[in-house]
Order: sequence, then structure tokens, then C-alpha cells
Amino acid sequence: MVVRKIVTVVEEIHLEGGRQVTPAARVVVVAAIVRNPWAGQGFVDDLGPGIDANASDLGELLAPLVLDALGAPAEAYGKAAVVGLDGEVEHGSALIHTLKFGDHFRKAAGATTLLPAVEKRGPAGVVFDIPLKHITDATLRSHHQTVEVRIADAPHPDELIIALAAAAQGRPQQRLAPLSSEQ
Amino acid sequence: MSSPATAARAGAELGRSTGSVATAGERPRTPGRVAARVRKTVLYCEDVLTESGAGPARPAQRAVVAAVIENPWLGTGPSTDLAPEVEVIAPVLAKALTDRLIEALGGIDAVEAFGKAAIVGTAGEIEHGGALIHTPWFGNLMRDFLQGESIICFADMRGDAGETLVVPMWHKTAAATRSHYQTISARVSDAPRAGEIVVLAAASTGPRPHARIGDRTTDPTVSAENLERDPSW
Repeated sequence: MVVRKIVTVVEEIHLEGGRQVTPAARVVVVAAIVRNPWAGQGFVDDLGPGIDANASDLGELLAPLVLDALGAPAEAYGKAAVVGLDGEVEHGSALIHTLKFGDHFRKAAGATTLLPAVEKRGPAGVVFDIPLKHITDATLRSHHQTVEVRIADAPHPDELIIALAAAAQGRPQQRLAPLSSEQ
Repeated sequence: MSSPATAARAGAELGRSTGSVATAGERPRTPGRVAARVRKTVLYCEDVLTESGAGPARPAQRAVVAAVIENPWLGTGPSTDLAPEVEVIAPVLAKALTDRLIEALGGIDAVEAFGKAAIVGTAGEIEHGGALIHTPWFGNLMRDFLQGESIICFADMRGDAGETLVVPMWHKTAAATRSHYQTISARVSDAPRAGEIVVLAAASTGPRPHARIGDRTTDPTVSAENLERDPSW
């Protein structure tokens, strides 16, 4: 697996709706920009070998980095695959929609739910949103949130952005009633 | 890559200290005129592991940190003296932003190149951004905090939320060091709102990945006069 660069984004919200957020709401993203393992091979029927060769390594690389950058226990999480223009969305999905990738993050974060995901294809500098949900209860409405990312020079046509996101809390000023209170 | 974590922790402290920048000043201020609270901060770091298929001879980490504040001069006219607010707000921003860069990049000594920038929301003047980054209350302090000597290169613009600004950097003690001419793209998805300013500081721990375009010491003499004498040109 050839990693070109690793990008870390740390967002902290101190004010929302004009009111103080204490402690500041923190959301982080760590993204690896890697060469698409199927680049230049035409249509590959069996993505299994490429998944086996890369998905676990990527999860193992990114999971500790995102938790380290968060600097607090993760309460919500999500993942992303952005495929360069010469690849298939299926290539990105192949690497993130497997337990081989996500289990590293789930285990490190003490999480049990599936990671919400975005997978799309785009040019370098494409803006993408990573959805996050609670790490043990995906119905917990307070923790449904999104973080926006842009990497100016990635993905190249033959690259993938593979990213993990983590939040230390739900939305700032979250105040929706729990799902269970609705009919 | 342990640095972003320490940066994140430093950021929490930053939030507490700059949640209300107005309280940081010691001089008496006109009531209601100095209130620039930090709505959010965004730290963006990148580590280039390979470039054009090969690892850099000197790997460098680049970072840019953004603070989103209210524009303290909204609704004031072009004859308004900007200095009173600058003297209070800019030093706090210089300290907070450089602290985060130092944390993210592994210390003051690790920082080799720097740059600064501002994006002014559409209800403000570009002069408002300039006031916050081009005066000694920001520039001299950023230079001191990062132990630099060079003038700090910059970019500024007025734009809508989500606008990307490319922030230039050069060497902190020897600005003409060509290997360190580099940039980093900065963008905050939901800022600046019309009444906000995004203030940015950027730094790098080394040169471009495969810097190989020489330097002033190795350049041949190139001038317009020489070119005119060259019959092949």
C-alpha cells in the first residue's frame, strides 16, 4: 500500500447559536491518500485479493491516529472513501465496507455499531461530508452529525482518500427529544 | 503523528482562554466595541510520506490553523480607527494560533517556515483582515513566538463561507531560502459568515518534498539585458 500523505483535521466549536459550548465540541478527521490498488488494471472481477492486501492495514493505520488526534473518548464516528476519477466507487467501498477495515476503529474506540459512511468519486479538491453516529447506539439522535472535508490536491485520478472521523460528543447545543419519546 | 492529539488538547485550552477575547486586554476599551469571540477553530495538518512515488529526503509536516471570530468593526465606516480593537484582539490570536502550530508540529525549533492569512466575511472590509494580521500586534508577536526573523508572507481576501485560501509560507529566518517556498490550502466549511473574519497562521517543518530548483547561491546570472544579447532567444 502506497500512502502519499496523511491529513489530520481538528475542528473545535466554541460558540453555536450564539451560546458558549463548554467544553468545546471536538470533531476530528484523519485521512490517508493512497494509490488505488486496482489502478490501471481495467475491470477487476474479484476485488477480494486487493481488499485482503489493504483494508486491514488502512484500518490499523487510521484508527489510532484519529483517536489520538481526538484526545478524548470517541462518542460518535464515521468513515469515508473518495475515489479518484479513474477508479470505480466500488474500489472505495471495497476497502471501507469490510470488517477488516472498521474493526480496528471499533475495537480501539470500544464501539459496537456499524460505521456510517460516505463513498463517492470526485476530482482533487472535492468536498465531502462524513456522517457520524453514536459508537454504541446508532439511534441516539443527539449524536447524528456531519463533518466536512476538502483536501486540495487529492484524490488524483488513480488515488483514493480513505478517512475516519470521530467526535467527542454529540452536536453542540443538541436538544432534540429522544427517539423513544416519539410515536 | 502524535502531534495532532497534543494540538487537540491545546485547542481546548485555547478555547477557554479565547472564548472571550475582550477580557484579555488590560487597557480600558470603549464599551461594546471590543467583542471578538472565537466561534470555532480548525487545525489542518498534512504529512507527505511519498511524492511522485518517492519519500522526501527531508519529510516535512505542514499545518494551518484557523480561528473564526466576529468582525469587531461591523457597521463602522472607513474613517474608523481600527487600532483600539487590534491592540486587544490581535495579540490573543497570535498567541493562540502559534501555540496550536507549535503543538501540532512538535515544537518551536521544528518550525522552519511560516505564513499568515485572513478571510473577511462579505459585510466587512479587507482592511479589517489586514488590521488583524498586518500590524505588529499580530505579525511581530507571531514572529517572536515562532522565533523567526523574516517578514511573514501572507494572503488575504474577502469571501463567502467555505472559500479556499492558499496560504504562502517561506523560511522563518531566511526568507529567500527557495527550498522553503511552499503553500497550504485553508478552508473552513461554514466560515466566514458575512459578519466574521477567519484569521489563519501556517507553518511547515521543512522544505518542499523534492526541492531541487537551486538557490540564489547556485543560480547563473539571468537578466533581461543578458537575454537580449543571446541570439538564440
